[in-house]
Amino acid sequence: MDTILSLAGVGKTYKSGHVALRSVDLEIKRGEIFALLGPNGAGKTTMIGIVCGLVSPSSGTITIDGHDAVKDYRKARAMLGLVPQELSTDAFTKVRATLEFTRGLFGRGPDRAYIDELLKDLSLWDKRDTKIMELSGGMKRRVLIAKALAHRPEILFLDEPTAGVDVELRRDMWRLIAKLRERGTTIILTTHYIEEAEEMADRVGVISKGQLLLVEEKHALMKKLGKREMDILLVDPLTAIPPELAEWDLTLEDDGNRLRYVFDAQAERTGIPSLLRRLPDLGIAFKDLETHKSSLEDIFVDLVSEKKEQAA
Amino acid sequence: MSVGAFNGHGVWAIYKAEMARALRTLWQSVATPVITTSLYFVVFGGAIGSRMQQVGGVDYGSFIVPGLIMLTLLTQSISNASIGIYFPKFTGTIYELLSAPISAVETVIGFVGAAATKSLVLGLIILATSTLFVDLHIQHPGAMIAFLVLTALTFSMFGFIIGVWANGFEQLSIVPALLVTPLTFLGGAFYSIDMLPEPWRTVSLFNPVVYLVSGFRWSFFGQGDVSVGVSLGFIGLLLLLCLGAIMWIFRTGYRLKP
Repeated sequence: MDTILSLAGVGKTYKSGHVALRSVDLEIKRGEIFALLGPNGAGKTTMIGIVCGLVSPSSGTITIDGHDAVKDYRKARAMLGLVPQELSTDAFTKVRATLEFTRGLFGRGPDRAYIDELLKDLSLWDKRDTKIMELSGGMKRRVLIAKALAHRPEILFLDEPTAGVDVELRRDMWRLIAKLRERGTTIILTTHYIEEAEEMADRVGVISKGQLLLVEEKHALMKKLGKREMDILLVDPLTAIPPELAEWDLTLEDDGNRLRYVFDAQAERTGIPSLLRRLPDLGIAFKDLETHKSSLEDIFVDLVSEKKEQAA
Repeated sequence: MSVGAFNGHGVWAIYKAEMARALRTLWQSVATPVITTSLYFVVFGGAIGSRMQQVGGVDYGSFIVPGLIMLTLLTQSISNASIGIYFPKFTGTIYELLSAPISAVETVIGFVGAAATKSLVLGLIILATSTLFVDLHIQHPGAMIAFLVLTALTFSMFGFIIGVWANGFEQLSIVPALLVTPLTFLGGAFYSIDMLPEPWRTVSLFNPVVYLVSGFRWSFFGQGDVSVGVSLGFIGLLLLLCLGAIMWIFRTGYRLKP
């Protein structure tokens, strides 16, 4: 797959002196779903803002399908669609009119059939002649998504798409994203919900304090950093871990009712069989076992602390 | 900075959206200036004007018509254009304009074009209203339209600049209230500056509105405080100043982009 968007040395220092983004290099492949993952204030929105022309970069260059985002902004921006995080809408305009407005703004002539299709895809058909101010928050979010798609962008940016969104809209949105992906649209989303990145993205970029910590295929990332946990549910609670079990580095959870063992699923020897043999020897009876892989959340926490250690 | 073709669809989208905004508030947009102007006629034209001499051979009632139209044109152009660009800034929908493949010039054509259209229509409505009160004979209709168009454009651009600059609704109304209205009243809208004693006559010549009103009045009655060429030149200069300021705003992202 070829590159559709590339950032080279893109940084942003606000007038206040706050460094929002530190020299980011990133290449987005055509047709992929890329999740930019990071806590609030990590620089996700600044990064998207720079690509879309909302924020002037302090350094670096952005190339969108071969077009420089500053020098050749017409061709570059015509390819982009942005769903902002805030519900910024023109309250007095009607839904269909606002979609037609965006389409025009992005230099495209009227296309009633396509706008109709969008309205239906986003369950806005019944509201097409309603003023935006009369819509609920979730409906406004749908309008913003439809607006971003009104000119058939090649790259769609979704800034925190599911923040404050109900289950139904979330489902509709994922369905739409799947449809867009089939059509070949590249999707870049920011999120601080790890499940969201885990569920949807092909690749994940982890960003913290304006620094892109790593970019990795989601599965590779999970594999690389994916630890598994095994909980041993005890018949009788323990007050302390017997010293004989020290080599497994266990922790007691749930008021001593669970023994937790963290292991590396990729390792040659997991240490599980020996642990399970050892327990009856010590007279510890258990009734059940639970294993689960660690989420991106844990991975993220690991990564951030790892970087901190490196810096220290 | 611009590459590629003119984004006509974009300009049209902005223009249409801005005109739709005016139509939604048609009642306020038209009624307020018409009522205000009618009150001026009743007070200055009827009550006071009947006791006043002619000014340069023109009845006082007729004499104030160009000034009244200018007053409306200036205030309406500024308020239309400033709200037009301030409102997206306020609601956050400016993100769309900034992310669109549309140049500074095109954005300005859309906003300023719509604001100027609205104030032109209003100016003509007031002209029509005034014929209900006084007899009017316009000597240079072509020049009159030219003055109307140039003034509407210039002050819509000025309004656009104020809208970009303003950080709150108070600032939005402060320039029209503290600058434009006084300058218009002191700019010979209701009198000829020849009637003023020195040094006020000379001081008045530093007031840009004097040139606008004078030129506009010339197109009605064939006479003004300054020559029509000076008036035209002055409007042209103001227009270029505003245009330059707008270009600078978009180039630097002043108050639009962090």
